[in-house]
Amino acid sequence: MDKTEKRILLFFALVLGVFVVVAVATVRNINRGVAGSDWVNHTHAVILENEALRSDLYLSDGSAHTFVVTGDPVDRRAVVEALSDVSENLDIMEALTRNEPPQSNQVAHIETLVKVRADFIRSLLAARRSGNMDAVHVLLADDAGQPALKDIDRAIEKLKQDELGLLTERDTASFVQAQMTRWAVWTGVALDFLLLGGAGWLIRDDIAARRRAATALRAANNQLEAKVRERTSELAASNELLTAENLERSWSNQGLEHQLNYNNLIINSINDLVLVLTKATNISRVNPAVVRITGFEPHELINRPFASLAELTYDRTAPMLDPIAQAMKDGRDLRDQEAVVQDRLGRRIPVHVALFPLRDRDKVVGGVVILQVIRSGDGREPLI
Amino acid sequence: MQKHILVVDDEAVIRDLLDMFLSRSGYRVTAVSSAPEAEEVAGRDRPDLVITDLQLEDSDGLEMIERLKALLPETPMMLLTGVMFDPKVIRETLKKKVSCYVEKTAPLTRILAAVQGLVGK
Repeated sequence: MDKTEKRILLFFALVLGVFVVVAVATVRNINRGVAGSDWVNHTHAVILENEALRSDLYLSDGSAHTFVVTGDPVDRRAVVEALSDVSENLDIMEALTRNEPPQSNQVAHIETLVKVRADFIRSLLAARRSGNMDAVHVLLADDAGQPALKDIDRAIEKLKQDELGLLTERDTASFVQAQMTRWAVWTGVALDFLLLGGAGWLIRDDIAARRRAATALRAANNQLEAKVRERTSELAASNELLTAENLERSWSNQGLEHQLNYNNLIINSINDLVLVLTKATNISRVNPAVVRITGFEPHELINRPFASLAELTYDRTAPMLDPIAQAMKDGRDLRDQEAVVQDRLGRRIPVHVALFPLRDRDKVVGGVVILQVIRSGDGREPLI
Repeated sequence: MQKHILVVDDEAVIRDLLDMFLSRSGYRVTAVSSAPEAEEVAGRDRPDLVITDLQLEDSDGLEMIERLKALLPETPMMLLTGVMFDPKVIRETLKKKVSCYVEKTAPLTRILAAVQGLVGK
């Protein structure tokens, strides 16, 4: 992995990080919003119950005064029901504000006031019911101006205003929270776009660099291929030349071999004994007729002096060389000499001898001797 | 179109070498080892040149040339042999029978030159 790839990966990791942060912040704000909404509903419930309490309290108080005037049991039942509703309202409010100490204290204060008022109403009802109008008058005189009811009303109003104040604060907080969520999302999106832009820039650079590298590689490949083609062409030409030379060499070899075989065929086809002598008159080569007629194998004859095979007839008392040696020395042909060849079994065979010196340019290097068997009248080889 | 050369020689090495060399030189070569085969090929696929050995295993090269000339009067015949002839004898004896005479010991380039002289490149 190269440096650019690492940078691109880092950019994408950052994009992912920002995305996660924004997502977490948004989810948390949404959760807060949901919780805030619950709290608002709860606060509204407290306010509504507070209002219901006030309403029921006024209803019970009004009904009590009505009962005092009418003495009608229906009105008394209305008072009792209203007081029951008040008690229920207080229980609900207490339950709603149980986990909120300031409100809970306020509710407790209201409850205390309400209980005092409820006791007064019950005393009024009891006095009216018993027909003790004096007591009723005293009670009503004491309650002139209904100060207790006003205290309760103030306490209820304070609780209501406090709750409304809290709602306003919560509303402001919710707005701020929504704004923050909005900013977080937009900031995250903008940051992600910036990071993606940066990654795109790096990728573009990387692609451009790779294209340049690919172009350079293609150029290098083309150059290499051109060199390979050139070299292949040279090798092909060289190979062509070598093949031609090989063919020529093979042709030359077969020509020489053919010629040699033909020469051997000629010599081997001669039924007379043909021997090649060195300058020192030793035998260096024989034809098959020599082997057939003398019974000697070639290896028994090679390097052997010719005189040991064929004994020439000449005057040995005269001070002269062997005629073969003399002719070789003189470099002249020798013909019509007679000699006797002794074969492997000791039999003596009369022959005519002819010598032809072998000349390499002007120099005698050896000689060819032809021994022609002197045959009897019936053509068979005579033995002496 | 490639020129067709019929090579007749009883030695496989010579046939193979001539086939290889002349094919490389751009000719279409048919190489056979005997006179009957040569006559069969000549009848079936007319050659532009016949190159033959003087001494064939089953017959004489000159005799075969006589028969081929009857079959292919316009086709040049080249005699290729290792038998040593006196140049004068060659000129006098063979000039009417063959178009060209080349010794087997001659280099291939000379043989090619002779072939090109007879049938072109």
